[in-house]
Amino acid sequence: MLSPETSTLLTLCCYGASSAAGIAGMLLRNAAARRWGAWLAVAGFVCQTLLLILGFHKMLPGGLSYGAYLQMLAWFVVLCGIVGRIRFRQESPLLFAAPLSLLLFATSALYLGSLVVIPASLKASFYALHIGALFLSLGFITLGFGAGALFLLLEGRIKSKQRMQGFLQDMPALALLDKLNAFTMLTSFPLYTLGIAAGLLWAKPVFGAAFSGDPKEVISFIVWAVLAYVFHGRLSCGWRGRKPARMAVLIFCLCLFSIIVVNTFMETHHAFIRQQ
Amino acid sequence: MDCDIVLVGLNHRTAGVDVRERFALVDFCAPDTWAVPCKGNLNESLILSTCNRVELLATGSGEAAEQLLRDWAAARDADVEELRNYVYIHKNLDAVRHLFTVASSLDSMVLGEPQILGQLKGAYRKAVAAHSVGVVLNRLLHKAFSVAKRVRTETAVASSAVSISYAAVELAKRIFGDMHEHSAMLVGAGEMAELAATHLLQAGVREIIVANRTLARGQELASQFHGRAIPFETLPQYLHEVDIIITSTGSPEPVIRARDIRTVLKARKNRPMFFIDIAVPRDIDPDVNSLDNVYLYDIDDLKEVVEENLAGRRDEARKAEAIVEEEVGYFEQWTQSLDVQPTIVDIIRRGEQVAQEEVAKTLKRLGVEDDETRAALECMAHAIVSKLNHDPIMFLKNGTMSQDGIAPRISLARRFFNLDTGCTAKNGSGG
Repeated sequence: MLSPETSTLLTLCCYGASSAAGIAGMLLRNAAARRWGAWLAVAGFVCQTLLLILGFHKMLPGGLSYGAYLQMLAWFVVLCGIVGRIRFRQESPLLFAAPLSLLLFATSALYLGSLVVIPASLKASFYALHIGALFLSLGFITLGFGAGALFLLLEGRIKSKQRMQGFLQDMPALALLDKLNAFTMLTSFPLYTLGIAAGLLWAKPVFGAAFSGDPKEVISFIVWAVLAYVFHGRLSCGWRGRKPARMAVLIFCLCLFSIIVVNTFMETHHAFIRQQ
Repeated sequence: MDCDIVLVGLNHRTAGVDVRERFALVDFCAPDTWAVPCKGNLNESLILSTCNRVELLATGSGEAAEQLLRDWAAARDADVEELRNYVYIHKNLDAVRHLFTVASSLDSMVLGEPQILGQLKGAYRKAVAAHSVGVVLNRLLHKAFSVAKRVRTETAVASSAVSISYAAVELAKRIFGDMHEHSAMLVGAGEMAELAATHLLQAGVREIIVANRTLARGQELASQFHGRAIPFETLPQYLHEVDIIITSTGSPEPVIRARDIRTVLKARKNRPMFFIDIAVPRDIDPDVNSLDNVYLYDIDDLKEVVEENLAGRRDEARKAEAIVEEEVGYFEQWTQSLDVQPTIVDIIRRGEQVAQEEVAKTLKRLGVEDDETRAALECMAHAIVSKLNHDPIMFLKNGTMSQDGIAPRISLARRFFNLDTGCTAKNGSGG
């Protein structure tokens, strides 16, 4: 039977090897290396799933560590990469997800000793709705960012009639990137809405009010509003191409700001972290 | 190797099209006369005759190149001295290098074009059918095919489009990806537009619509592409149906303007459009390119793409030349290994002779005549001899990779084993 430590090491190795193979495959324009990169990301995902099943939270008595949350986010990002791979028959979503997950997974080691304290009354449903829906949504937003950024880069080169050099020659067509971007945005909006709604419901008993003007809540509502705008634009106004691609990049940047800046540098009651 | 590899030829660099026509060996290629007859100084031969080159490859001794030239001139009823003005002659490794370069399409008029390899394979098939190739040319041609494959796999010398029509289709693929869901429209019926439409059909576009001022000509073209023709005046009504538009009319004014496309885009719900304007003066208002989800390439843009792709191929050709050089080295080792074969055969024969003699002596001394003992002794003697010969033979074979070449090792081995005198075995055997 695999121990959590072995699973952690295997996961790290797979994500690392996947990132290296993916980057080498792109730079050297080697399709076999890219395929290997994608499969290694799937292998990393399987190892991490084992890690989740083995109950890694037991490593820290009293609840989940902040590091464990980062690991979960890494898992969701690769999950979305796998969905993208299956849906669009392209390796690029997985190759994009692998280095990000490696980064999240490696960073999580720094925070495995920091406990996230969740009120006991919320524990049961909290994971499934608020965290689950938001993390899955974040996974798709990340994928949408990758597709959007790549679309802008390639589209800019085609519009300005510049030559596609190196790995850009092997990138997916603009139409496919746009479809991937649309899929991620249209999927992440309902998930994000569900996550926010669950948060509002449970914020009332915990913080005394559903909305208390906390920086994390404010930035989350801004993200939700922009997502809603893109959702509406895509479905009702027939948005395609550059505009929704730019919006996907903006949404991802807002999410990064929320996770890194708000949680680390701002006073918020969403920073549940307490050093052990 | 006791014979030379000789290549005599002319190509687009050394001879104009009229000369190439005159000395082409296409009508010389009836199945029974395809190869240069292997007579006189020639052992093996093969002819490669394409629109851009005529090359005769042969193995032979002495004046093989001269004989090839004479046969070639005679086959075309021409003066050999006149032919000599246009030909290049390569021998041995230079001939090998040239053949590998040709097979890899590094010597082609359009660098990296794929046809030459097929033409070389065809020439080889005909030479095989005419029984005019032997050990050396068989090996050389197979090696040339593998070098060409290696060059294509390991370099990007053949990867990008180098014709305007194909470059346009490659761009369309970058925008739309799978072409099966997309349709195209030809506006005007220029030759280059036709060619682009052919490439688009090959890439899998669903439908081609032709809009031409002369409807009959449009219909003729549409039937060629299994598409449909529309009257030129109705062009704006059909624009929203198509994703790729190729224009090549003779109109002095633009036939498609940015303001028209804004309306079309609304009708298409912003699905992308790719305009390829091959006409001069241009048929499409350049402002069209500033619209979102619309891409416009005119003839100059496409020429630039082709130029850049050609420059890219030239860069890759340098990598390919290094591969060719490496493979020439391997082929040289193989030809040297041919030189060593007679000496190896002599060493083995000498060993077998010694073994036979010693077995006979031993049997006589023991006074044993049964077959079982004879077989056991023979087996032992041959095993000892072959084990003793193994290291000297490996020493000879490895000589093909040494810096000094194989000749000093062959000389040493022949002296060491006393192979060049008639009485080696008897002198060597003890009592």
